[in-house]
Amino acid sequence: MEQQSVWLGPMRRPVRLIAIGLTALVAVIFLWLVANRMISEDAIGMHEMIRPEGRPLVAIMLWAILGAILFVSIYLSDMRESIETKPDGVFDIISLICSRISMIMIVMIVIVMFYEVVSRYVFARPTLWANELSLWIAAFVFLLAGQYAMQQRSHIRIYVIYDMMPRWMQKFSDILSLTLLLFFVFAMVWGGYDDALRRFLRMETFGTAWDPPIPGIVKPAILIIIMMVAIQAISNLISDWNKAPEHHGLDDIDEIEIENIRRTLEEK
Amino acid sequence: MEFLSYFAWMKAPDIGMLSLYLLLGMFFLLAIGMPLGFASAFLAVAVLIMKFGPELLFNDFGKGPLSVLSQAVYRQMTNYVLISIPLFIFMAALLERSGIAKDMYNSLNVWLSGTRGGIAIVTSIMAVIMAAMSGIIGGEVVLLGLIALPQMLRLGYNQNLAIGTICASGSLGTMIPPSIVLIFYGLVTETSIKALFTASFLPGFMLASFFIIYIFIRTRLNPSLAPLPEIDPDAPAGREKGLMFIGFLSKFGLWIIGVLFLRALFFTVTGQNTLQEGEDPIALGMVYHLPYIGVAFLISGAIMFAIGKERVNTGWDMGKGLIAPTVVIGVVLGSIYMGITGITEAAGMGVIAVFTISVLRREMTFEIVWDSLVRTLKSTGTIIWVTIGAAALAAAYTLSGGPTYVANLILAAELPTMSIILVMMFIFVIMGMFMDWVGIVLLIMPVFLPIVLKLPVQELGYFGELDPRHVAIWFGVVFCMNMQVSFLSPPFGPAAFYLKSVAPPHITLTQIFAGFLPFIALQLLALTVLILYPPIVTVFL
Repeated sequence: MEQQSVWLGPMRRPVRLIAIGLTALVAVIFLWLVANRMISEDAIGMHEMIRPEGRPLVAIMLWAILGAILFVSIYLSDMRESIETKPDGVFDIISLICSRISMIMIVMIVIVMFYEVVSRYVFARPTLWANELSLWIAAFVFLLAGQYAMQQRSHIRIYVIYDMMPRWMQKFSDILSLTLLLFFVFAMVWGGYDDALRRFLRMETFGTAWDPPIPGIVKPAILIIIMMVAIQAISNLISDWNKAPEHHGLDDIDEIEIENIRRTLEEK
Repeated sequence: MEFLSYFAWMKAPDIGMLSLYLLLGMFFLLAIGMPLGFASAFLAVAVLIMKFGPELLFNDFGKGPLSVLSQAVYRQMTNYVLISIPLFIFMAALLERSGIAKDMYNSLNVWLSGTRGGIAIVTSIMAVIMAAMSGIIGGEVVLLGLIALPQMLRLGYNQNLAIGTICASGSLGTMIPPSIVLIFYGLVTETSIKALFTASFLPGFMLASFFIIYIFIRTRLNPSLAPLPEIDPDAPAGREKGLMFIGFLSKFGLWIIGVLFLRALFFTVTGQNTLQEGEDPIALGMVYHLPYIGVAFLISGAIMFAIGKERVNTGWDMGKGLIAPTVVIGVVLGSIYMGITGITEAAGMGVIAVFTISVLRREMTFEIVWDSLVRTLKSTGTIIWVTIGAAALAAAYTLSGGPTYVANLILAAELPTMSIILVMMFIFVIMGMFMDWVGIVLLIMPVFLPIVLKLPVQELGYFGELDPRHVAIWFGVVFCMNMQVSFLSPPFGPAAFYLKSVAPPHITLTQIFAGFLPFIALQLLALTVLILYPPIVTVFL
């Protein structure tokens, strides 16, 4: 899948190498952990995985996972998907990296669920962590998906009247929408700041057996990502400013996507 | 914070005015093209300002009533059922890019090609099967449009009939479980989603059978609408074909029963089906089920033997395309109804099932997974952020006592029960013309459902009595049926736009909508049945 580089340019190769290296590191540690688990009783399990204090291997593993996801996402963000709109705003690249992160996370949710169903249903040994882990990951998928949808301009809007407006009025409407959005973000941060900060500093946990710090992480993440959505909205306004008015159908029907489906059908 | 007192006029005098401003604000913001999710999110802040006044809200950084916003968002973000949405979308996206649908069409077509109107009927049946696999529309209409429309037009089918069949059947995705409309309805109204799925089963099939009966009758009355294909002299016909079909069913049944037998045996060996106090028995997995399964196995084996190896094998080849869809449906709906997993895991298992089948068919590539992920994320972002905005708005509006106010207002008017329901239906249909179903479910339902729940149950419907516990479920199914109409209704019925994008260029949007008319009438008929006879939803409950 060799494609033209979107933004990395000559950095593409090193990023790719780092991504592969970190993924390999994760895989090696993972195998080591699994092997340990089979041999000894008090090996590091999922319970220890989110409590890195005093366990250097866990800390390395967590950082390696984080780095692997980040670098794979950076590498993947360098390739434009055929059904994506072209990135041209200042903030688009960051949104794209975030979108790649959440795409990887969707796959992770599926894998976690599969593991849980198999171990509960076939081996009758339900896990304590699968539900909460998928909840934790999903919160990020949901939030980052909004940022991506913002970058792709695919948020649900009603274009009936908007399309009839002259361009200057459209621009005015866009500015008004953006101002109101920024006001919402402002109000949201105003109202939620203390709560988020308190929970983050305490690393408040979920209060279950596995006890991941979901409130401690997700509450601040909501505020941060909502701010990122706002930045993306500003960046959109700037990069769309001089574009000709577009006309919109009701739904985002993608020509390329239909072409893809058509090809699939004809291959048979 | 002295200057804030200059803004004290922003406080609304009472909840009535506040609701009015909210409504006007929503219309205005949507008109200027503000994204629905952010418009509702902003209005949530506006409602809080109108309720508490700016002094109270912005007096102290970091706290105050504004914190309900982030709490509402947090609640949605950590909602386990909501995870099923991206997973169902992911599954549907993978499904579209696999050849499963095409093979299914071919298989169904082999069996029904001799019938008049066969392809139209095949399209409807296929739509039902696909609806039972995934729960979203759009993809389905596109797929059917690509597969069935060229065939029908080539054979000289009436264009309107062809178009109407494809779009009306393709919209069934959200009527037959699993359905993301019902998932959202269940989330918003805190109704059991499993119960909603069960309840929508019969109405969904009723609607599908209306379509099929309509096609059948129309093509009988006027055979020129649906010319028969030329008969292939080598193909089996009549009785022979029927026998082959039975042969196929028996062989397929043998496999399914065999798997069930092994499953029950596995439970018996591992001792999972020895019940503790208070546990539900595992469906078809108990020791006492084993003899029944064994007998069923023998019966289908005997049928297979009676029909003959030759015929069974031909039949198997002809029907192979139906196997993959059945497996997927079995995995998704089976997981939900046999009590194995919840909705969310069922969606996850659906993804795994479709992926595995595609890998086995040697169709899966990294690119397809990647494409599907991009699409999934896009759709997830749009749907979930409407949810975020609407959750914030609902929280703010509830805090200021809005829904109670509206409910009391309407109940105090003492209108006849059924006319309130009819007015609501009317609002749904009108809103459905302009707005996505997500917006309607999230913004209107929190106001409408409390009213419906307060209406006298005995007066709902004209025949039959509804159990008070089932009112919310009934209303959900009614809503879902309403959305069926909105997918087709001009001027913005999404199904029409989906079809337009894949239809030959000479078919105009007006022609497409003209083709919908009889099918919209059928949908309204089904809706009428639901309203006149509400207990229809409780048949399987």
